[in-house]
Amino acid sequence: MDITFEKIKGDSVAYKTAMIIFALFAIAGAVSTWIVIQKGLWITGMNNRVPWGLQIVMAVYYIGLSAGSLVISGLYGVFGKQEYKPFARIAVWIAMLFLIAGLLSILTDQGRMDRVFVQPFVHFNLQSMFSINPILYSGHILICIIYLWALFTERKKLTTVIATLAFGWAFCVHSGTGAIFGFGARMLYESPLLPASFVAAAMASGTALMILLIVGLFKITKRCLDDRLVLWLGQFLAVCILVVVYFLFIENAYRAYVVELRQAAMYYLFGGLHSIFFWGGLIFLGLVVPMFILFRKKTGQSIKWIVIASGMVVFGILFERYVIVLPGLTYPQEILPGMHITQSMIQEGIAAYNISLAEILQALGVFGVVGFLFLWGLRFFKLLPTEAIIYDQIGLIKRIEYLRQKGIHIEDKKPRALAAR
Amino acid sequence: MDRRDFMKLAGGTILVISSGTYAFQFLTGSIRSATGEGIDPNAVRWGMVIDLTKCQEGCTACLDACRQENNVALHGDPKLDVHWIRKVKAESMIGNEVQEKSILLLCNHCDKPPCAQVCPVQATYRRHDGIVIVDHHRCIGCRYCMIACPYNARQFNLKDNEHWANKERPKRSHGVAEACTLCAHRLDVGKPPACVEACQNVGAGAIMVGNLNDANSEVSQIISRYATKRLREELGTEPKVHYVGL
Amino acid sequence: MSFKNVIQSRMSLIAVLIAVLIIVYPLGYSVADYISAGNAAGEKPFLERTAPEITQCVEDTIYMRYHHWELLHAIREDVVRYGKRSEVSLNNCRSCHTSREKFCNKCHDAVSMKPDCFGCHYYP
Repeated sequence: MDITFEKIKGDSVAYKTAMIIFALFAIAGAVSTWIVIQKGLWITGMNNRVPWGLQIVMAVYYIGLSAGSLVISGLYGVFGKQEYKPFARIAVWIAMLFLIAGLLSILTDQGRMDRVFVQPFVHFNLQSMFSINPILYSGHILICIIYLWALFTERKKLTTVIATLAFGWAFCVHSGTGAIFGFGARMLYESPLLPASFVAAAMASGTALMILLIVGLFKITKRCLDDRLVLWLGQFLAVCILVVVYFLFIENAYRAYVVELRQAAMYYLFGGLHSIFFWGGLIFLGLVVPMFILFRKKTGQSIKWIVIASGMVVFGILFERYVIVLPGLTYPQEILPGMHITQSMIQEGIAAYNISLAEILQALGVFGVVGFLFLWGLRFFKLLPTEAIIYDQIGLIKRIEYLRQKGIHIEDKKPRALAAR
Repeated sequence: MDRRDFMKLAGGTILVISSGTYAFQFLTGSIRSATGEGIDPNAVRWGMVIDLTKCQEGCTACLDACRQENNVALHGDPKLDVHWIRKVKAESMIGNEVQEKSILLLCNHCDKPPCAQVCPVQATYRRHDGIVIVDHHRCIGCRYCMIACPYNARQFNLKDNEHWANKERPKRSHGVAEACTLCAHRLDVGKPPACVEACQNVGAGAIMVGNLNDANSEVSQIISRYATKRLREELGTEPKVHYVGL
Repeated sequence: MSFKNVIQSRMSLIAVLIAVLIIVYPLGYSVADYISAGNAAGEKPFLERTAPEITQCVEDTIYMRYHHWELLHAIREDVVRYGKRSEVSLNNCRSCHTSREKFCNKCHDAVSMKPDCFGCHYYP
């Protein structure tokens, strides 16, 4: 079936306002980053005991959000579900932008940003996950560019090949991101499950974001969207959430069971702000309520509810990233086994981390860059399909109704598929 | 020529030239092992012995000497201060009595340093003589080494160091990680590290540095004679700071 | 669009030109800066000799002028990474070239190229 793609005009007030807001975010982020470069990282909430903060959380989160393309290209490139082809372009575009956002977050987090463009490329260390991951990320960006090009030029064979490649590569990207933490030496980091659970969480947040974007964009630009496409994605999202819950359960059950890790597990589950994020933000808001919505027959079949659930997942996974990165750092390492440090010159015991304004502005800035580029892309590239329907009886009837509402009669524009039957 | 072709050509030119430059740089750049494996077993292998039975509570000679010698930043805020060597008080139970000890903690100069393994730019590395050192000219400030170190021995220069006590020695700019270098600059010219010197002159002579590969060196003798302990040996990082009386 | 058309098109020429401009911009920037700071070159002598009794540096003047950073880089690698400490060091440069203001900064300001040494290494 031929699908036509088009640019949006981009002359509405909403479009322009959104562009201006994103641009302001980006400027605020740039100013904040400049101040951090000049003054040093002490103006952020990070300190000598908690060397990673919000920027790393956001980087990991952004990388995860790019997984929507993994799902769509997997559906359409690997499993040959042609009805998802209309979303392919927008999925890849979003994936590329969020990978760039991830890299930007990592970049703005470095102590010496001036060296980032030279040293890692000259003195490469293949033993470091921090050396391997940027290759995976930039490789994925490159694949996304080729993928987009193949989609824009309608090369069928190349599209299938590159979609399969992107599918496999994206798995490496998300596993690699998980391995930064999972292969680390901290008590709450070290876990071979983490790369796998990262893939699951990434797919959940990526699918949820795709649902939000698809429904939102089709609604705003008044295009015909077949509900069944979204419903299926909603069901897939429910399965992803189930897998995330499963991994979370296994991980925490292991920690709580093994004597050595029990104290750390108790700190993780009931130890402070991150525990509130864990139970309230991740478990309740991000996983349980959406799962309830999606698995319940009545709400799971309603687009409105699916969108609400997706929004909750996108928001909830942010907390997941937070509770992966920070409790592992604030929880003390056992330097002197069997002893209790009572007095020291640095923070021993449980360390404090407070998110600072500078970090929030930096995170907002990266988000602004992504949003700006996304909207810009909608206007300059043919990303949005004119319609997204399944070409069967129900889909075509829906389309006829839709066109009639717009005042176009079916006799004027007879669908070729209908004529063929 | 329309806009699309224009963009394609311009983009292509940039891509070709820049990727060519990058490939050249990468191929000519040095790719060395980060963990310094395959080194000469007969070479010097510096190690340290800290005799906690001699170390006196309340004495800060080694800490002051280190700060003076190496321009280690002191801002007066425990969140930002950098300590290459730090003294902690730790309680342990002996029977049902609480025993308090004062312990020196510093970089353990592991033979298999996890910090060097994770450094993406090979800034942290193990020298031929076993000292783990940060090349501050190369550090990009990613702080992965601080995550990987199981001893909290690494610290980060979050803020610029205002004091410059020893002008002969460099200080560090903000945005790089650092840790004890075992005073490599002094060992290279045959002098003992500043802390060892201070401990012998002012303190109780509790810190010793010597060649672990030499059976007759002071440190090897102590290690063979006493029951010395290393911190978190079970992690397999092979630390080279040995404690007597821990 | 055939290749021949690309070559003939005037727009393509501009496209390549813009691309090349973006790439050589840093160089051009410093050249422009050098020209704008050209009056500094008029002062003679440009570099002041602060220690006249020694006439010979570790290498020829011409070599030092164009390769001093390579030398410093090599010393740095030797010292930091291999522990080979010799007489030649940034600290020892100070014995003849006593002032950063009168020596290093003269050229470096003129070509607007900031060396990253003195944030950490002491040089008066």
